[in-house]
Amino acid sequence: MTTYSQKILDKSIDPATHEMLDHAQKTGMTTVWDRFEAMQPQCGFGELGLCCRNCAMGPCRISPFDEVGPKQGVCGATADIIVARFLVRMIAAGASAHSDHGRDIAHTLLLTAQGKASGYQVKDEKKLDALAAEFAIAIEGRTKEEIAEDVAKLAYSQFGQQEGALQFTHRAPEKRQALWNSLNITPRGIDREVVESMHRTHIGVDNDPVNLILHGLRTSLSDGWGGSMIATELSDVLFGTPTPKRSAVNLGVLKTDEVNIIVHGHEPTLSELIVAASQDPELLALAKKYGAKGINVTGICCTGNEVLMRQGIPSVGNFLQQELAIMTGAVEAMIVDVQCILPSLGAIAGCFHTKLISTSPKAKFPGATHMEFHEEHGNEIAKDIVRSAVENYRFRKPGQVHIPDVKMECMVGFSVEAIVAALGGSLTPLIEAIAKKQIRGIAAVVGCNNPRVKHDYGHVTLVKELIKRDILVVTTGCNAIACAKVGLLLPEGAEMAGEGLKGLCKALGIPPVLHMGSCVDNSRILVTCAAVANALGVDISDLPVAAAAPEWMSEKAVSIGTYAVASGVYTVLGVVPPVLGGPAVTDLLVKGAEGVVGGKFGVESDPFKAADLIEAHITAKRVGLGLPA
Amino acid sequence: MSEISGPFLMVNLERCEGCHTCEMACAIAHTRSGTLFGAVLGSEALFPRNRVIKIAEVRLPTQCRQCEDAPCVKVCPTGATFRTKTYTAVNPNLCIACKLCMMVCPFGAIQTTNVQVGERTKRAAVKCDLCIDRPGGPACVEACPTKAITLTQPIEVMEAAIHASSERYLEAVKAQATLAKQP
Repeated sequence: MTTYSQKILDKSIDPATHEMLDHAQKTGMTTVWDRFEAMQPQCGFGELGLCCRNCAMGPCRISPFDEVGPKQGVCGATADIIVARFLVRMIAAGASAHSDHGRDIAHTLLLTAQGKASGYQVKDEKKLDALAAEFAIAIEGRTKEEIAEDVAKLAYSQFGQQEGALQFTHRAPEKRQALWNSLNITPRGIDREVVESMHRTHIGVDNDPVNLILHGLRTSLSDGWGGSMIATELSDVLFGTPTPKRSAVNLGVLKTDEVNIIVHGHEPTLSELIVAASQDPELLALAKKYGAKGINVTGICCTGNEVLMRQGIPSVGNFLQQELAIMTGAVEAMIVDVQCILPSLGAIAGCFHTKLISTSPKAKFPGATHMEFHEEHGNEIAKDIVRSAVENYRFRKPGQVHIPDVKMECMVGFSVEAIVAALGGSLTPLIEAIAKKQIRGIAAVVGCNNPRVKHDYGHVTLVKELIKRDILVVTTGCNAIACAKVGLLLPEGAEMAGEGLKGLCKALGIPPVLHMGSCVDNSRILVTCAAVANALGVDISDLPVAAAAPEWMSEKAVSIGTYAVASGVYTVLGVVPPVLGGPAVTDLLVKGAEGVVGGKFGVESDPFKAADLIEAHITAKRVGLGLPA
Repeated sequence: MSEISGPFLMVNLERCEGCHTCEMACAIAHTRSGTLFGAVLGSEALFPRNRVIKIAEVRLPTQCRQCEDAPCVKVCPTGATFRTKTYTAVNPNLCIACKLCMMVCPFGAIQTTNVQVGERTKRAAVKCDLCIDRPGGPACVEACPTKAITLTQPIEVMEAAIHASSERYLEAVKAQATLAKQP
């Protein structure tokens, strides 16, 4: 049994990560953790959200100090105005990332419907028809391509829509829609809300913190009930709605005797075709020629989640493990598209034979080979990329290979449709289980990794605490992979749950933590909440549900947290967002919001205390519904 | 060496970017929670003992120079301000915030503010105390991203000057020897 230094043990709870950090140290390679350490102490003004660079009269910095220092920027903006403006810009950036992803999927569906794409087809006609019905698009006597073209065009139109409400907001309970209308925060068009966010936060426009935050809510809703939902729904149409399946996670899924390819980033458009190309007989023969036993496609981050839940493709890990994956020396190619891809990867890949291949015209990286991806030639490009990985197998240096023998099995792929199917055709058994207190409620635990938090500790500790208290957990993104690594995504994981939840899991053969997909798939959680609320004739804010992001770091997470709150969900953050410098804004987010939208933020870095907060909230909501506490 | 000749904070003017990080670190180091979020969430006042200023395009933090024959000590009517072997200190228990020390400080390094003494909040003079009780030494030194601030012993300044001037002297002597050889 190898023992590692306390410094390494303090960075993560994951043994594979410990092993690779030790390996990195011994071989003189630096990681995100080393850079985080070198960055300490981080700027306190930035941490409080008190700096503004929005115009050239600045940069301005508001003094958080008692009595001394400037309390207004050059323009006159107070701490609360600056904090609110910055928060709105973070939401706008996060919403943009999800929504641009959604736009790309709509584009792929459109090209597929028009016969212009290579390698795609409408895989889930049932879902296509359901969407068409929802969009009031005729189905009778039309081919799936004709229907898909109309669905794609309607989805496309949501981005440029100027007035009215986004189509998917009508999925929310009527009470919720009415509330959004009364607050004037119903999202009108996906691009419009982001543009308006940038306008309002320009020098000398919106300088009322409350008015700013309200628009922040609207922008986030254009993500959750707009761009993200489009991404999820149309991905299901193109690649199939996920169903429960088994796979494995962690660095040990890399193989010593096969060509290892890692797909990294977020969109399934390329990763799905990479999976298909890896099964191409010609490429498999080429791999054999070079002495490899096969082609092993694995994933990381959310594109990994996408192919994990649809194709059962194993995941090498979550966000903080991307550098470590290359350091195994066993990766022929890491193929990246967009979001959460560290710009440090190229330099690390340069120490090995590994090819870092960038594919999106939107995202280029130092040290990467750019093989630009276009759906029109999707199959050919995917094959070219896989071929270059196979060709690279020859250059692997066996002396450099270091794959931790650590992996865990998992059960993934719980789309809303799959959950309903597992429940026997409707959500009623779930609602009954909540009503009779077999389970207390549902918590969505999601979000990134962040070196500010011991890797996976925030995620796993909170989730374990919640299921112990009979709270069913649904998960996406990096939390999902953290849970998978410790066996929480296995039906056997029910042993870690309280008696009630354990019984439900055993009866249905499901894990106590349900993997619902990638970060855009948080929209699936919104759909689930809406469906449960509608079945009970109440609003989402009345339900015994809560959300948490224990290790969040990205602007996307800010948008997700905000649309959860704006949808009426209590959301606990494990990392403090840069707002504490604005006392009125902070108060609004953690207290006042509840009286306005029924949801609010909590901030708690201790996962045990976070579980207490969530449990207390769920208990209060149960009492509100007249259920046993 | 004399009996009292304590360290002081020296600033490398070429390195200071004027980022105010030292002010933040100073203010946090002097809270009870000791962390930024802890102080803000606990409604503790943040009050830096140093001040970053800009004069003729040069930015630098200013703070108490830890005078050895300190005027603030001389004028203090209650004995709150006193000199230890290493620094010039203020005892908030005895301080009445009369501002005499502020008036006589040639560096503007003393301010009065609310301080917590036990459970009581009172006004008192505050100034740089070199983070005398802080295990890692002065917080500003640790926080400075460009390492512009150093805790320096007077002897180090002296030795650096001696070395620099001696090097110049040697160069001059060498140059003279070379010149002397020429016809």
